[in-house]
Amino acid sequence: MSSLAEGLGGEMVRTWAFAHRNIIMARRNVFFLFELTFWPGVAMLSHGLLTRFLHLTPQMTAFILVGTVSLSAIQVCQLDVAYAVLFDIWSKSMKHQFLAPIRIHHLAIGSWLVGVARGLVVFALMAWIGTRAFGFDFVGAGLANLLLFLLGCFLTALAVGVFVCALVLLFGTRAETSAWAAVNFVVMLAGVYYPVSVLPGWVATISAGIPITYFLAGVRAGYGFPSPFAHPFVTGFALVFLYVVLAHWALAAAITRSRRSGLLLKLSE
Amino acid sequence: MLAVDARDLLKTFRSGWFGRRRTAALRGATLQVPRGAIFGLLGPNGAGKTTLLSILATVLLPDGGSASVLGHDVVREPFAVRRRLNMASGNASFVWSLRPAEVLAFYGRLYGLSGSRLRQRVEELIERCELGPHRKTEYNELSTGLKQRLAFAKALINEPDVLFLDEPTLGLDPDVSIRIRAQVAELRRERGTTIILTTHYMREAEELCDTIAFIKGGRILAQGSADELKRRVRIGDVIALRLDPGPPENLEELPGILHLAARGETTECTVDSSDKRLPEILRWLHEQGVLVRDCQVREPELEEVFVELAR
Repeated sequence: MSSLAEGLGGEMVRTWAFAHRNIIMARRNVFFLFELTFWPGVAMLSHGLLTRFLHLTPQMTAFILVGTVSLSAIQVCQLDVAYAVLFDIWSKSMKHQFLAPIRIHHLAIGSWLVGVARGLVVFALMAWIGTRAFGFDFVGAGLANLLLFLLGCFLTALAVGVFVCALVLLFGTRAETSAWAAVNFVVMLAGVYYPVSVLPGWVATISAGIPITYFLAGVRAGYGFPSPFAHPFVTGFALVFLYVVLAHWALAAAITRSRRSGLLLKLSE
Repeated sequence: MLAVDARDLLKTFRSGWFGRRRTAALRGATLQVPRGAIFGLLGPNGAGKTTLLSILATVLLPDGGSASVLGHDVVREPFAVRRRLNMASGNASFVWSLRPAEVLAFYGRLYGLSGSRLRQRVEELIERCELGPHRKTEYNELSTGLKQRLAFAKALINEPDVLFLDEPTLGLDPDVSIRIRAQVAELRRERGTTIILTTHYMREAEELCDTIAFIKGGRILAQGSADELKRRVRIGDVIALRLDPGPPENLEELPGILHLAARGETTECTVDSSDKRLPEILRWLHEQGVLVRDCQVREPELEEVFVELAR
């Protein structure tokens, strides 16, 4: 029993190591504040003003601004996950991390928890701007829908962030930009500012395989836009769990490959 | 009992398009290190020292051969190895915004330390490595010497049974190097830690290591104590003579003289054995009417052994 408790304690401590490091970095670096306030603020204001210019109904405004929130929350959260590897790449300390007896879930979940916290700050800021400036009701879809939507966004961010870590460990610093580009691409395919029905047929097929498509459809249903899917949240969560597992596997494979190729050492020189 | 047992390790790095360019880093390196030893790994740049250490530290996978650390296979049981091992390198680097105690706490947590045990360990190491006055300084603002000391402290965070030091005193001031060497010796004395160190400083290897291995081209060429290596390589002893009126022309033709060199007023005779040749040379010089004003005999330096083996 005590060894089980020790084991669980060790798991939590290792996970907390990554969370704590991300917290320190977020506190000390001004560009983290930009990620948290500037870009989400700019996105909310510019999209909100666009909805005014186009004289959109409150319902249509909600459709657009839900997309804006999802993109920003996922972006910030997945960056935190990617930082678990990117900090070590930028500081050339990669090998020390993998010299310790850690597993992928320690670095992924530890940094993800901070990402969730930062994503919630982004959400709160955007909700405040949206409500004050554009009269957007963020809980208009229902509290349960909103919470499921946010959880879906954060789990999507976990999967994307871990995939980005795998890409960086496969291709080195050349793949760094994927940390910023990946989410934009995924969300574009998922119908961020438009229904997936406007996408060309083959793109719509791809979007059917993206979890955030279902989370957007689920929350938008609460604003009166009928979902094209029968159980959007159930399908979304099933898909996102599958992607989290796949991302975990991809990162494990990338670590093994970088240990074989010597990239893990090159990233520490 | 062996702390490290590596046999016939092979490693080739691939680069370029489709990995067509291949560089063999290890070509059958074999190494046994007993527990509690300080083991020096010497060799020219690109000899395979860091590759060998990285395989043993489980951050690089070998292409062939086998290796175990404290009885655990480095490929099949990397987590068991990692719990009992740590590594510091001369070019170590950590996340730029963290302060020394935060760096140590981060890595301490990765080894499962928490609460008062973690705080106590971090404080011990801060004190031991004299980082206290720099507690509030972020990593990027530390001097090279302080960074090196922090790297050394980080390598001790989990009280490893096996410690790898990859050029731990590279580019450091002599006083910092001396302190790090003292810490290395103390670690073995106090905890019986097995230490493998790579270095380019022969004096460091000679001072610290029980056993030294020379690696070149991915193979261990020679292994033994510093004295054994000097004897084994047979590069000869040097007899330095100050002669009046100078060395006779046919001095070089005497038996046992391998090489003759003039250094200012001194003539250096490299001989196969100074015990045997010194009396013969002095007798012959006396017969030639040459006055010997000064005579010194010295054994070859480890550096000369290194140069000979690296040739």
